[in-house]
Amino acid sequence: MSATAIEAPALPAPRRRMDPLGLLALPGIAFLFVVFLLPLALLLWSSIRGGEGFTLAGYWRVLGDEYYRGVILASLQLGLVTTSGALLLGYPAAFALARARGGWQVLLFALVFLPLTVSIIVKSFGWGIVLRRDGILNWLMLNLGLIERPVRMIFTEGALYAGMINVFLPFMVLPIYSVVRMMDPRLPDAAATLGASPWFRFTRVTLPLSLPGVVAGVSLVFSLAVAAYVTPSLLMGDRYMTMSMVMAKAFLNLRDWQLGAAMAAVLLAVAAFVVVGASLLQRRLGGGR
Amino acid sequence: MAALRQAGHLTVAGAAKRFGAATVLDDLSIAVAKGEFVSLLGPSGCGKTTLLRCIAGLLRPDSGRITVAGRDITTLPAHKRNVGVVFQNYALFPHLTVAENIGFGLRAQGIRPAEAAPRIAEALALVRMSEHAGKPVTALSGGQQQRVAVARALVVRPSLLLLDEPFSALDRKLRETMQVELKHLLREVGITAIFVTHDQEEALVVSDRIAVMNAGRIEQLADPATLYGRPASLYVLDFVGQSTRLAGRVSAGGGGLVSVETALGPVRAPGAFAPGSRVVVAVRPEAVTPGAASPAEGLNRIEARVREVSFLGSRTQLHLDLPEEGEDRGVVELARLPEGIGPGSPVTLSFREEDTMLFPAA
Repeated sequence: MSATAIEAPALPAPRRRMDPLGLLALPGIAFLFVVFLLPLALLLWSSIRGGEGFTLAGYWRVLGDEYYRGVILASLQLGLVTTSGALLLGYPAAFALARARGGWQVLLFALVFLPLTVSIIVKSFGWGIVLRRDGILNWLMLNLGLIERPVRMIFTEGALYAGMINVFLPFMVLPIYSVVRMMDPRLPDAAATLGASPWFRFTRVTLPLSLPGVVAGVSLVFSLAVAAYVTPSLLMGDRYMTMSMVMAKAFLNLRDWQLGAAMAAVLLAVAAFVVVGASLLQRRLGGGR
Repeated sequence: MAALRQAGHLTVAGAAKRFGAATVLDDLSIAVAKGEFVSLLGPSGCGKTTLLRCIAGLLRPDSGRITVAGRDITTLPAHKRNVGVVFQNYALFPHLTVAENIGFGLRAQGIRPAEAAPRIAEALALVRMSEHAGKPVTALSGGQQQRVAVARALVVRPSLLLLDEPFSALDRKLRETMQVELKHLLREVGITAIFVTHDQEEALVVSDRIAVMNAGRIEQLADPATLYGRPASLYVLDFVGQSTRLAGRVSAGGGGLVSVETALGPVRAPGAFAPGSRVVVAVRPEAVTPGAASPAEGLNRIEARVREVSFLGSRTQLHLDLPEEGEDRGVVELARLPEGIGPGSPVTLSFREEDTMLFPAA
């Protein structure tokens, strides 16, 4: 034989689908398992454990009792109002932040994100000082002659909403900002040269392109606000009970684990619904690209 | 195609624009005829994109007047001007398909879908993108994106089309094809078009006339042949094409020809300069022939030394060693390199007096 066929060495068929880099997630997963998943399972377990084995009594009490239903509705309402307020204030702010240049951008960044470095407790106390009967706002309005006697502001729902929006605003601005920053600012210009009015430009170009950021911000703020504990406690006390406040009371004062755990499960379901719904919505919005 | 035909007529009179301390447009005026292709050519920062944005209505000039087809549009917002723009990198709407991008302007102007559909189909066919109608624009190549951008701008029948560096996002080979294709397409549609570019070759290819811009002003507005053959200033000479340049001093004038003493010998050229004036002598690369041609009337002859030879395929460039530094430079293009010429060899170069240009020294 004068010619020898050169045989390619047989390569092993690729079997492993997973990138070995995926293993880097293992420590994180293990950590979450121990500190989050395990306690969560125990919590859920205690929500269905009664004196004689399995029971749904905790859920009956949370969902059947008018008082607790009211608490759930109040939490949802707080989440909704806070989210709407943060969206109304945060959406334009995110654009200003994304389009600002130089010193202005630094200043705006500081205005939005510096409050994050202040503890939520300090902030809520600060609101208390401002809104008290003898607080700064009443003093100011009295001296300006706008009111004749101090107005009750603290322990009102208006004050609670203001405080909540203040606390959660950065969580709305940040995701919208990060989307808007990547948006080509010439797209509205291009729409204008095609005869699109400012309103058409906003509804057909700017808004749809910023929607992924809006969905992220809304789901983040809503799931945080619906679970709020510190701000409502400090600004409203017992007058406005949220789910988290009921949970704390059940675990710490009443020693009623079944009630607290069932309420926690309902809150978890609400948050999961929002987060899963948002990520589905986001995938659909992003899928059109 | 005839449906897309509609022409305008643009005038800009005394436009000025300042950003802080910087004057970007300096009392600039230009008139563009119906159906004409005009390029605004200049380096970045010369004000060409600012002028384009002022015409489009995306910027308002501090002073001056802009009219299209006799209508004063100076203070009209962009969406009421009916001036189409093809943006640099195209600015296609990433959340819409090809057909939706093209139909955007029709929808924005409230045209019913039944009426819009055939116009979208016509525009798609015009740029040969019909089979891509349903694709997201992010899935297109650069050349295809450009075609969509052009169709999107044309489908609303603008009275004027502005194109901001429309070829800069394309690679060199595709760019050359698209330049000819786009020029042909726009000619067929019969629209008036303004190109903004910093690429002189591109300007020469696509334009009927070229406005060379410098520091917010138009340095020269002329057809490509005039611009190349009779540049109005050293700035235009430098910006469009290459040349051999020599500093010199006028020794004698009269009879429409002046004599100039240069470091490489005396040269005669048409012009009107007083004796003693400092001037720059310039000649285009292809106007020069090598070798000691027999002495003849009307020929200039200089002796120089070759520094480097660059082979460019269809022609060969000789870079000359010139005795003076600075403003002087020597670039000569030959169809064929003569025998025995290489780096270091002396050459005799001849060029006609009438091809020799004179500029006042800067």
